[in-house]
Order: sequence, then structure tokens, then C-alpha cells
Amino acid sequence: MSQNNSAMKVVGQSIPRIDAPIKATGKARYTGDMKLPGMLYGKMLFSSVPHASIVRIDVSKALALPGVKDVIVGKDTPGIKFGNWRLFPATQDELPLAIDKVRFIGDAVAAVAAISQDIADEAIGLIEVEYAPLPAVYTIEDSLAAGAPLIHDENKELTNNISLDRKIDVGDVDAAFATADYVREDTVFVHAVSHAYMEPCAVLVEPDTEGRLTIWTSTQTPYIVQCLLASTLAIPENHVRVVKPYIGGGFGGKMELRPWDFCASLLARRTGRPVRFVLTRVEEFEVGRRRHGMKIRSKVAFKKDGTLIAKDFEAYLDGGAYNSMGPTATFLCGNFGAMLYRYPNYRYRGHHVYTNKPPAGAMRGFGAPQALYLSETQMNIAAEELGIDPIELRLKNAMVTGDVIEGVTRISSAGFVESLHKVAEMTNWKEKRASLAPNKGIGIGCYSFISGGVFNWFNTQYNFASCEIRAYSDGTAHLLTMAADIGQGSDTVLRQIMAQDLGLDPEQIRLTAADVTMTPKADLGTWGSRVTLMNGNAVLDATQKMRAELAKMVSLRFNLNVIHEVAFADGRVFAKAQPAKGISFGEAVTMWVKANRGEELVVRGHYTPRDLGLTSPAYSFGAQVAEVEVDPETGVVTVEKVSTAHDCGTVINPLAVEGQLEGAIQMGLGYALCEQFVMRDGKTLNTTFLDYKVPAAEDMPAIASAAIETYEPQGPLGAKEAGEGLAIPTAPAVSDAVWHATGYRCKDLPITPEKILRATGKL
Amino acid sequence: MDKVCITLNVNGDRYELAVDPWRTLVEVLRDDLNLTGTKIGCQTGDCGACTVLIDGKSVASCMMLAVAADNKNIATIEGLSTGQDELHPIQEAFVEQGAIQCGYCTPGMVLSTKYLLDQNPDPTETEIRQALSGNLCRCTGYHRIVKAVEAVAVKMRADGKGE
Amino acid sequence: MSLPKFTYCEPKTLEEAALKLAEYDGRARIVAGGTDLLLGMRRGIAKPEVVISLARIAGANAIVASATELRIGAMATLAEVAQHPLVQQHFPALACAAAVTGTVQIRNMGTVVGNICNASPSADTATPLLIYDAKMIVVAPGGERTVALAEFFRGPGKTALTQGELVKEIVLKLPSGTTRSNYQKLSPRSKVDIAIVGVSALLAFSETGAIRRARIAIGSVAPVPKRALEAENMLEGCQLTPEVIAAVAAVAAKEAAPITDMRASEDYRRSMVAVLTRRALQQNQREQQ
Repeated sequence: MSQNNSAMKVVGQSIPRIDAPIKATGKARYTGDMKLPGMLYGKMLFSSVPHASIVRIDVSKALALPGVKDVIVGKDTPGIKFGNWRLFPATQDELPLAIDKVRFIGDAVAAVAAISQDIADEAIGLIEVEYAPLPAVYTIEDSLAAGAPLIHDENKELTNNISLDRKIDVGDVDAAFATADYVREDTVFVHAVSHAYMEPCAVLVEPDTEGRLTIWTSTQTPYIVQCLLASTLAIPENHVRVVKPYIGGGFGGKMELRPWDFCASLLARRTGRPVRFVLTRVEEFEVGRRRHGMKIRSKVAFKKDGTLIAKDFEAYLDGGAYNSMGPTATFLCGNFGAMLYRYPNYRYRGHHVYTNKPPAGAMRGFGAPQALYLSETQMNIAAEELGIDPIELRLKNAMVTGDVIEGVTRISSAGFVESLHKVAEMTNWKEKRASLAPNKGIGIGCYSFISGGVFNWFNTQYNFASCEIRAYSDGTAHLLTMAADIGQGSDTVLRQIMAQDLGLDPEQIRLTAADVTMTPKADLGTWGSRVTLMNGNAVLDATQKMRAELAKMVSLRFNLNVIHEVAFADGRVFAKAQPAKGISFGEAVTMWVKANRGEELVVRGHYTPRDLGLTSPAYSFGAQVAEVEVDPETGVVTVEKVSTAHDCGTVINPLAVEGQLEGAIQMGLGYALCEQFVMRDGKTLNTTFLDYKVPAAEDMPAIASAAIETYEPQGPLGAKEAGEGLAIPTAPAVSDAVWHATGYRCKDLPITPEKILRATGKL
Repeated sequence: MDKVCITLNVNGDRYELAVDPWRTLVEVLRDDLNLTGTKIGCQTGDCGACTVLIDGKSVASCMMLAVAADNKNIATIEGLSTGQDELHPIQEAFVEQGAIQCGYCTPGMVLSTKYLLDQNPDPTETEIRQALSGNLCRCTGYHRIVKAVEAVAVKMRADGKGE
Repeated sequence: MSLPKFTYCEPKTLEEAALKLAEYDGRARIVAGGTDLLLGMRRGIAKPEVVISLARIAGANAIVASATELRIGAMATLAEVAQHPLVQQHFPALACAAAVTGTVQIRNMGTVVGNICNASPSADTATPLLIYDAKMIVVAPGGERTVALAEFFRGPGKTALTQGELVKEIVLKLPSGTTRSNYQKLSPRSKVDIAIVGVSALLAFSETGAIRRARIAIGSVAPVPKRALEAENMLEGCQLTPEVIAAVAAVAAKEAAPITDMRASEDYRRSMVAVLTRRALQQNQREQQ
């Protein structure tokens, strides 16, 4: 990778985010903040029943309501299914509006466009839908039971409700088990949780007179929305311009085409007017994607000395009514089951199961929080039973740089061992684990996560990440990237990387991001912790080309000997060994333009991971320790402190990395302790923040962290993933600490006071 | 169901409006006055994204009828900083301390901070956390936000403009 | 998603408000802080034709003390009550409960009277007001009447108010002699949450240290917030010992009639009544010593 020879002046600095001032002043425009002249207000009608045939839909009363401009139902659409796994069309199982069947409470049935939100809301209530109920299933067990209704009976290839299986076989698991000194088998149930991003989904579509559309939508994946909107509307991709405004968080919940994107687009085309949809929080909780609930079984084999020799891992994913991102979660769950430690023999069987519930999709960690909740909990149990300290047991088996999972991946950098040592030191682990006051506990959980995926399930023909850099005589430059900053800070980080490599002040770089017909193709979006690595590499590809062009100018201007290296720093381009032989960046650009007879200096950069196994170019690692106090009478868990040591390669922006870590702990604590969907007969009962409890400021523990710097050869300037993986370790760490305090080992998240009291015989 | 004539004094500007009585303050601020800095996150008073100050007190503007704000002084995020490039010290601290990620909770957080510091210029960490617990954030884990409030409290006390 | 449509009025006096309320006979609702009514309307539970605001009634937000009593007006907010020095001095359980109801923003809007009139079994301020023998001053077109709070709650969302009646204020008698009281709240999911159990306890001590008068009220564990009368009776005349406290706590738990819902199970709630009752009594005892 390209690396500027000058000292790291921008990278590694806690530069405040580019977008912080505009957000602090309330001027940042999110989708729901935007209005256009003539705009219509949209509203969706979602299915009120979990599984049924649609007998009849009558929209006449809604259409007759004054102010209603259009109502659409499934038969008004081209009836084309969609899904992110375009490489395998059979997995694309969702219609933007249901035609003959609904499969969960929340399936999209109709949509209205009216001159005001009040009228649109009222019109929805006037649509009559007659359903013929079908038997419904809500659990993995019921869905797989003999005689269960087939949720996707239209797919003749399926003989049951398993939509997809995934296998991994490394070594000879059965033979290894036969030689084991210690074998441990556990089954856990991990629950579904909500992304609970603060900005409810919204979309605004403006049509032009030739049928083209401009779409502002709250998405992590503008390019995916563009492609899938085009295919479901049966129009050319180039007719669809998706522009990403400011996004109020996503965490995986905004990485697909959603029915309101489609309905706003179709209504805009039909009415010739802009149409806007803004979801309510209740709708978000009812129909929003969620993290997969899973039932996972794991059997591990050790030698007496604690050496892991085999693992047999099987997961059933509660996918809800459609595949959504479930195939990826099924795939990754198995990959993560093999991470962190060296398992010479590993077997995985993953099954994605349909149920009549809202579909689960991608959510921060994407299969890993579930897989590693079990793996890490089991590691702690094994440590106890083998009589080995949990950190020692981990150190014995920890992955190190250069480790290979045969046929799956290679670990090109790993700071896991260092993380374990560091967190033990930070927390005084040995002493505290050995002796603590009554009702106090200390526990550990670890993680590893991908830095983007190498797989191309979306089947894009373009590069995975691309950018364009334009340079100007005034010393400024313009970075155009399709990378989608949804709050994680990629705009800032990409600008830092570019500034570093071109020796520019970040403020001299204009940035245009995520406008799919303007920014170079393509980018798969913000998910899987891919943005820093992939877009960072694309930026460096472009800066390298830019440097080559400008180096020619300096070489000419000063008649440099060919052996001279040309450096870029402080807005200057110069011979590295003779800094006086140099000109300003702007002068160099001017020379280039003159030399090229008026052409604008534009370069493009790209990145696509090639031949890097099946999973990811690079992996982050980390270890986290939670300290808790459990009230023995009420069972209430107070998390007092969470300490983390993590390896995310080169830290490009320490402030951003710490912010990711702290946010991940909040999400991890919610997952462990207080967040869950309460459902009855397919209906979500807790649809407000009053009863879907995300931790508040008062609920947060003290936080300590240490970054273990490694240099990731696949990453831009040595960087890799930070933040997504950190959502993984908190649940197992808290769970282990609760066990340490009470003796209760949670195998069905979340850990509630009632479960603790029942397990300790107090209820 | 007649509209009601009201006067809203928002950020020092006076607006005379005729509003439907069932419309909430946040809807009128956003839809009628185009003050979209105030966000809607839940519409049930649980998330704090719609926090504004009414006669100096923080309220959830999604749980308040616009008619109930008649003749009151309303401060929204748009009124906090005075000039084009100037940030209020609270906003400056949020920017510098990395308290902003997706930014959707930020306007409400900033106003809750203003309310806190108006009441209590020297809050403890616990008091800050309590004061901000009506504002949900899903990105930051609140840590940087608390740091920002601590930093700005110190600065505003030093500058002697804790008002 | 808009609120359902209604007509709005702002009477200038309580009498005028009562007349309006009577005129619309069950189709009108009073709004004070609005935090419960708007939530009810948002959820489609409340669909009033007319909303009658108390905002323009002079003095309705007053918290006034005389030599013998404290009056909390219908528009006094939770925050104002929580921060009022006399409330903090004489009615600490109420000050505490008002300070942990909802969020900062909700406490700046919502009122104590509204919290009571909403008649939620989990209303934080209900159990403190029960132990202080609060009286509700009720206004109707024909005049006023007084209803003891213990008689006020009639079921979830149901009160003793009849057609045309609204609550003007809450009256609390200032305590004489040594009393100790506190509020214990359990909300395990988050510090910012509805109570899944709330217990308030008041003890008045004689000079010998014996209990002269006891009040225990339990919330979120029955269709209405209520006093645990048997438990109270056990305490009167007693010296507080660990055995007495344990026995009283167990009886209070028996007096609870909780349900299982998405927030907690019946048996957990019942069991927590005992824990919180014990903690409330112990705190009173500690403060007395």
C-alpha cells in the first residue's frame, strides 16, 4: 500500500469530525427534515396478521378521501422480488408490496400518498383488507416441526422452512473428539434485539419528467438501494439516483431496500410529485429489522493442559419471514465460531429458519455476538472445569499473526495475546478473580471481527470501493466517494487518510459522498466494518496516482535526478532529500494542467479484495473485562466497570475509535441485560422506548480502554476494523461476571433479575 | 374543530400562527416554522430528541401541544449559537470532545445540557448522567457526552457566563 | 403520525372547567402537563372530543403551605414538587418519587395531580401520597368535595371522579412529632423506567421509640396503588426489630395482588414487595437512630 514517507501528521490525531459542527447546530439535514414543493406525504399499510392469504383489498374509500392522490397495492407493482443476495436469485424472497400472501405482522400491503400526513394516516385506516388466515409459527422448533406450514410454499425447492444451510469442515472433528481429555457441550438461546437507531427510517423521492428518480433515504447502502429499486421498478439503474443525506445511525438496520423506498418511488412516478415517508418509532419496532435470535449448540474438545483440539458448532437462526441478510449471518456465525482460538478441527452446520415474525437482518456484529456469546461462555466454563484461569486458557489457544483457517481465511495481523495481557493488567484480573467482596463479580469476554467481507453476494460488477480525487491550482482537492457515513465517521477518516498521503490540511479537502450517479462506482455500503479498510485503500490507490502525476511536475521543474524520492507534506511537493527543491501543491497542479493542455487533474482509486479466502481481508481482536455487583435480593445487576484492550491496527482517529468502543458497550449491555422484543402470536408488544429499554446515561458503567496497535498489511496505513466487533464481548463478559458473583451461568439471554433469583433459589 | 391562534416566541423571533389544536409543538416547529433542528425520535416522550426549552425549562416537544406553548419563550437548537461560524460553548465542547456521532440526538442533548448548566453550573458526573438520562443516544455510549458537559461546565464557570 | 382531532379550550377558572367537563359528559378530558393524555391519544386509547386545559387558571400551579397543611395545585409539576423545600422536609417520600418519575423533560411538564388522576397502578407519586393520608379536593359544577386518596383509585385508569369533576389540589397534613418516611422504587431494566414495584413506608415514633402510627403503601402490584393495611396494623405499638420487619414485609407481600406482564412476573413482583418493604422500614429505622 502507498504510504507517505513524511511523519504521520494527520493520521493518528483526534481530529473532530467534519460533520460535528453542522450536527451540533441542528443544521444537518436528515431525510425527514427535507421538504420539496408539491411534496406528498406517504403512509404504509402493514399486515395486521402473521400469516394469511390476501383475499381482497379494497382501496376505494381511501382513494375517495379528499386529498388522497394515489394508493398502491401489490398488483400495481411489477411484482419483482428482491434481496441483497443477488448472486443466488433463489434467496431473493421478498416483494416490496405483498401480492397474494402476507407472512408476518408488518408485511407491507399498501401505501398511500396524500397532500398531508393527517390525510395519509386517515386514508390508511380506510383500506379494507380481507385475509384468509393460515397457520403460523413463531419459534425455530415449531417452524421445523412435522406438519408446520410452509412459509414460502411458492419456492418449490424448499421442502421445509429452512431457507438456507451452510457448512464448514476443517480437519477431522470426530477423530479429534476421540482423543480428547475433556469435552464440553452447551446449548444457548440468544435473543433478537433492535438496532434502535435514533433516526427512524425516512425516504424522499423526486421524479423528473422522463421517469428518472432522485431518492434521499436513510440508508447505509446507497448503491444497493439504487440497484434493487431499479430492478423492482423494472427501470434502468441509471434512472435511479440515490443521495445519502445525514443518517441517524444504522447499525445494520438500514442496509437493504425497504418497502417505503419502493412505495415512495412508485408513488412519485405515478403522481409526478415528490413523495416522502417517515416511519414512526412504533412502526420501527414492529417492522424494523433486528438481530437474529439463535439456538446454538457447541461441543468443544480439549487436551488436559487446556489445548483446544476440536469444535462442533451448530446454529439455527430465527430468520423471520424473509431471508433479508440472514444468509450472511448464517455464513458468518460459522466463521466466527472458528475465530479467536486455534481449532485444528472444526465443523459448522448453520440453518436459516423462516418463522412468521419480522425478518432479522444484519446488526452490529452480524452473526458474531451470538456465536461468540456461546464460544466465550463455554471457554469460561471450560476454564473453571479444567482448573485453569480463563485468561491463561485463552492465551494458550489464542490466534496469532499468520494463523490460517484452512480453506477459510488467513490472519494477517492479530494483537489478541497482547490484548489479553493488557486487560489482565488493567483490571488486576488475577487478584480480583481470586477474591472479591460478596455479590461482586469479574468476568471476561473476547472478540474478533472482520474488516469487511471478501464475498460478493450482491454480485456487483464494479469494484467494492471506489473514489475520485480532483486537484486544483488553489491547493485544494475534492474527494468523491460512495462511502456512506451514517454516523461512524468515515467522511472524517477518509479525509484524514487522503490528507496524510497528499500532505494536505484536511480542511483543504472538499468531500462529496454517497451520491450514486455522481460518485464513482461502486461501493457496497457501510456494513461489516468494511469502510475504513476498503475505502481507505481506494483513497490510497487514488492518492498514489495523484502523487505520481505531481511528482512528474516537480521532477521537471527542478530537473531532479531520477533517484530522488518526491515527498508530500505541509501543502508542498518536494524532493525528499532536498526540500528546497519543491513547489506548493497548487503550483504542481497548475503545472500539470498546463502540461496537459487544460485538462482537469482527476484520478480514480479502487479496491476489491481478491484471493483473500472466503471471509475478510483482516481481523480485529480484543478482550474485555466486566466488573459487576449483583443485588442478591432483587437480582439487579449493576455493571460497575468495563475495561477493554483491543487491536484495531493503526488507529487513524483515536477519538473516533474510543467513541465506537463506548457506544458498543452501551449496545452490548443492552443485549446482555435489558433489551429484548416481547412478542405474542407474532405481534411485537413493546413498541416504545418505554418498554424497549436501551441503556440511558445513568445506566452506563465506568469505561477504561487501551488500544493495542498492530500494523495490518491489508489495511490502509495499517488500519483495520474498530467498533463493530466491540459490540460482541460485553454480553459474555457481563455474563461471566454475573456467574462469578452468583453462580448463575446464563444460557438464554438476556440476563434478568428474575432468572438470577430463580437460579440462586431465591424465587 | 377550529384552529387556534397562537403566538410562539422562538429564539427571540415572534411567530403568529393558526394551528390545529391536536398538533404537537415539535410538529409546528418543524413543519410550520421549518426549524428542523429539533428531531422526532419516538413521539412518546421517551427519547429526548425533541427537547426544547420553554421559559428556560427542558420539555419533550412531542408531548406538548403547540397551543400550550402560546405566548411562551421557546429555545431550540437553532437559537443557541449566534453567528454563522460561532458555536455556543456547549456545542463547541460537543464537537471537540467527540460527543457527536450520528448527530440525531445531539440537538436534544445540547439543550438538556443547557438546562442542566443553567440550574447547576458545577454538576458532578452523577448529576450530569441523571440530567441527560431523558435523552437516548445509540452511538456514543454517553461517555464523550458526559466529558463534553464536564469540560464546558469548567469553561463556562471560568468565563463567568454560566447563565 | 398525528394525534386524533379534538377541540381545545382554556377556561380561566376551575368552575368553568368543571362546567365544560360536565357539558361534554365523558367526551372531554382535562389536560394539565399533558404527558399522560398525549401518550394515551398517541396510542389510540384516549380519543376525547374536547380537551380542557388548566394552563390559564390563575394559581393552579401553586404549592402553598399553612401552619397545618400543604396544598399542591393541579398544575404543580413533578419537578416543582420534587424541589419544593417543604415537600423535601416533611414529605421526603413524595419528593423522592416525584424526582424519579419519568425523565427530566417529563418532570418539567407532568404534574403530581395528573400522575394521580391517570390512576396507573405504577404511578410513582401514588404510594407516597397514600402514606401521607393525602386528600384530593375535587371540584364539580355544584361545588367542592374532599376524597381521601385511599378512596380515589378504583382500578387501572379509573378514579372516584364522576361527571364534571376534576381535582383542584392535593392536601397533605403537616406531620406532628417524629415521623420517618421514604419511597423505594425497583426498576431493574434501567434507572429511567416505570417502577415494577414501588413501596412507601411511614413510621411515627413515640418517645419510647415504639411505633405510634405506621403507613405502608404498595404500587405496581395490584389494580390500584394501595395501602398494606394488615402490615401497618402489625407495626402499631411495636418496637422495630429485625423479626418484626421481616414478618411485616412478608405480610405486605401477601397483600399484593400482582400480575405478570412484559416488565416482570407476578411472583417476582410479590417477592420484591417484601424486599422493598423491609428496605423502607430499615431506612426509617436508620434515620430514627
